[in-house]
Amino acid sequence: MLVWFLPVFLVLLLIGLPVFFGLLAAPGALLFLSGQERDVTLLYRNLYNGMDSFPLMAIPFFMLAGELMNRGGITIRLVEFSQAIMGHLRGGLAHVNILSSMLFAGLSGSAVADTSALGSMLIPAMEKNGYTRRFAAAVTAASSVIGPIIPPSGIMIIYAYVMGESVAALFLAGIVPGVLVGGGLMLVVRALADRYDLPKAERIVRTGEPLSPAENLIARILARANFVGVLWLLYLIVGLIWEGTTGAPFGTGRDEAGDTIGFPVLPVLIFFVVLTEIIFRRLRRVMSEDLRNTCKRAVVPLQTPIIILGGILAGVFTPTEASVMAVAYALVISFLLLRSMTLADLPGILMRSAMGSATVLLLVGAAVAFKVVVSLSHAPEMLAAFILTLSENPLILLFLINILLFIVGMFLDAGPAIIILGPILGPVFVDLGVHPVHFAIIMSVNLTVGLATPPMGLVLFVASSVSGERVETIARAILPFLAVEILVIFLITYFPAISMTIPRLTGFVQ
Amino acid sequence: MAVLTIPLRALVALNTVLLRIGRHAAWMALGLMVIIILLQIGARFTTGALNWTEEAARFLMLWLTGLIAPSAYRWGGFVAIDTIPRALPKTVAHVLLVLLLALSLAVLIVGAGIGWGEVTGFPGTFDTAALYTFFFPSIGDLTVTFGWDRMPRSHMMASLLVGVCLMILVNVELLVKALLGLIAPALELPQDPDQTAMAGTE
Repeated sequence: MLVWFLPVFLVLLLIGLPVFFGLLAAPGALLFLSGQERDVTLLYRNLYNGMDSFPLMAIPFFMLAGELMNRGGITIRLVEFSQAIMGHLRGGLAHVNILSSMLFAGLSGSAVADTSALGSMLIPAMEKNGYTRRFAAAVTAASSVIGPIIPPSGIMIIYAYVMGESVAALFLAGIVPGVLVGGGLMLVVRALADRYDLPKAERIVRTGEPLSPAENLIARILARANFVGVLWLLYLIVGLIWEGTTGAPFGTGRDEAGDTIGFPVLPVLIFFVVLTEIIFRRLRRVMSEDLRNTCKRAVVPLQTPIIILGGILAGVFTPTEASVMAVAYALVISFLLLRSMTLADLPGILMRSAMGSATVLLLVGAAVAFKVVVSLSHAPEMLAAFILTLSENPLILLFLINILLFIVGMFLDAGPAIIILGPILGPVFVDLGVHPVHFAIIMSVNLTVGLATPPMGLVLFVASSVSGERVETIARAILPFLAVEILVIFLITYFPAISMTIPRLTGFVQ
Repeated sequence: MAVLTIPLRALVALNTVLLRIGRHAAWMALGLMVIIILLQIGARFTTGALNWTEEAARFLMLWLTGLIAPSAYRWGGFVAIDTIPRALPKTVAHVLLVLLLALSLAVLIVGAGIGWGEVTGFPGTFDTAALYTFFFPSIGDLTVTFGWDRMPRSHMMASLLVGVCLMILVNVELLVKALLGLIAPALELPQDPDQTAMAGTE
C-alpha cells in the first residue's frame, strides 16, 4: 500500500499543494493508513535532522553573498567588463548579456538572481540599442540558467546533501557544462546577428572616471597574480601530460643518489612573474585608459569564484566556510572599497536571504523525510525493474530519463525536482553503471534548463516582470536558445568526459 | 460574517507582530552565523580549532528557519504548482484552495503534536555536544531555572516546533481569508502591512 504515496504525492502537487506539505502529507497519510503510525514520528524526526546540517548551511550563505554583491553594485562592474570584451561584436549586447551571466554565475549560483539583476540592467539597454524587448528578455532568461550550473550552485549543494555526494566534485563537474551552455548561446546570437542585423555596442560605458588609488593598486596586483596563476595551472597540466607520457616525475625533487630531477619550481615561477609583467606592459600600451579602468574595476569582484573554488580545492575551506568567505569578501568590497552600502542596508539584505534560505531548508528537510519513506516503500527497486523493462541499454535509458526530467522541469523548480526525484532516480542509474557525479550533472543541468521553459519556468516569469513583456512572447523568442541548451544536455549525457574530466584531474572523483 | 472577520482581524494583528519579531530574530541569527563561521576559520589558523562553532551555527540556522519560514508561508513563498488551479473556474479554484489549506493545517497540527512530544519527551533530554546555556525553561510545568550547564537538545529541537506553531497561526489566517473570499468575495480583508513594506524595498 505504501507505494501509493508517490502517485498521491504527484496528485497533491498537481492540484496546487505547496511542495513542502506534499512531501509530508502523502507519505504521512499512507504510513498512518497502513498501520505504521510510529514511522510518522520518524518522518518528523527526519524533517528536523534533514535541516540540522553543517554542509547545508552553505545555502543561506551563498544566497547572502549573491544578495550583497547585487546590492553592493558589483553586478554593474561585471556588465561593463563584459561589454568591454564583447560589446564590439555584432549582437554585442546579447553577447554581453551571456558573458555577464557566466561571470555572475561564479558569484551567485541562482538563475532568478541572475535574471533580475542583469535583466533590469541589460534589457532596457538592449532595447535602447535596437533590439526587440522580447529578444532581450529571451537572451536574459536563457543565459541566466548558467547561474546554477557554474559553481557555486545552490541546487548542486542540495543534490550533494540529499544524495550524499561531494559538493566540491559537483561544483567542479559543472564548470565545463556551464561554459558550454554559454558558448552555445553565443553561437546562436552570432547566427541571429547575421539574420536580423543585430547592432554592435560601445565597448566603454564609463569614460574619464579614474579608480581610487587603493583600488587601482589592489586591482593591478590581483590581476598579475591571477595571470601568474593561470600560467602556473597550464604548467601543471603540461606536467601531468609529461608524467603520463614519459613516466618521469614532475616538479623538483631528488632521486636516491641526491641529484635534482624533474622540473624546477622557483625559476619557473620567477619566469612567469617576469613574463606577466612584460605582457601587462604591452597591454597597457595597446589599451586605452578607460578600457584599462573598466577591466580593473572587474578584477576585485572576480576574485570571488577564485576564493570559493580555490579555497575548497586547496583544502583550506569546506564548501560552507567558502560560502562565508564569499559573504565576508562581498562585505569588504561593498563597505570598504566601493562604499556602496551602509550598515542600514544590512538588516533588509540579511532578512531577504534568511527568508529565501528558510523555504529551501524546510524543503530539504522534508525531502530527507520523504527519502526515508521512499526507501521503506521499495519504490526505487520497483522503478528500476520498470525502467529495465523499457530497455537494458543505459544510453537509451539516459535519453528517456532526460525527456522525463525535461518535462518535470517544465512544471517544477529545479530544487524541489531534485529533492523529489534524486532519491528515486539516482540509485537506479548508479546501479546501471552511470557515475553518481555524472548523473548529478545530467539531472542538475536538465532541471536548470527547465527554469526557462514554459509553462512554469521561474526565470521566464522574472524576465517577464523585469521587461514588461508577456511570458508567452518570451517563451516563443527563447526557443532557438533552448534548442542549444537541449543539445548541451545531450552532449553532457553521452560524453561523460565533459563533466568528469576536471573532478578526475583534481582527484575529487576516482 | 462578523463571527469570522473580528477574530480574523485579531489573528492578522497577532501574526503581524509575532512574525515581525521572528524576522528580526532571523536576520540577526544569520548575521551571527556569519560571524561564528568566520571565527571558526580564523581560530583554525591561529589558536586552534574551536569545538562549539559548528553546533552554534547549526543552532542558529534551525532557529532562523523556524522563525522566518512562517513569514515566507504567509507571503506565498512556498513553492507550489498552480497551473491547474489557475485553469479552473474561480469558484472551483477557491474551494480547492480551502481544501488544500485544510490539508496543510492537518499536516501542521500532526507535526505540532509530534514536535511537542519530541521536545518535552525523551529525545529532547540529551545534551548538545558543545553548547552551554544558563537558561533552562521547563515547558511542561512552565518553570524556568537558571544555571550554567550543557544545553539540552530540546533547545534546538524547539525551533521546528515554534516554526510549526507559527505556521499553524498563519494557516488559520489564510484559511479564514479563503473561506471569506468564497462566501463574500467583495469583502475587504485585512492585509499584512509588512509585506507591502518589504516588497517596496525590493
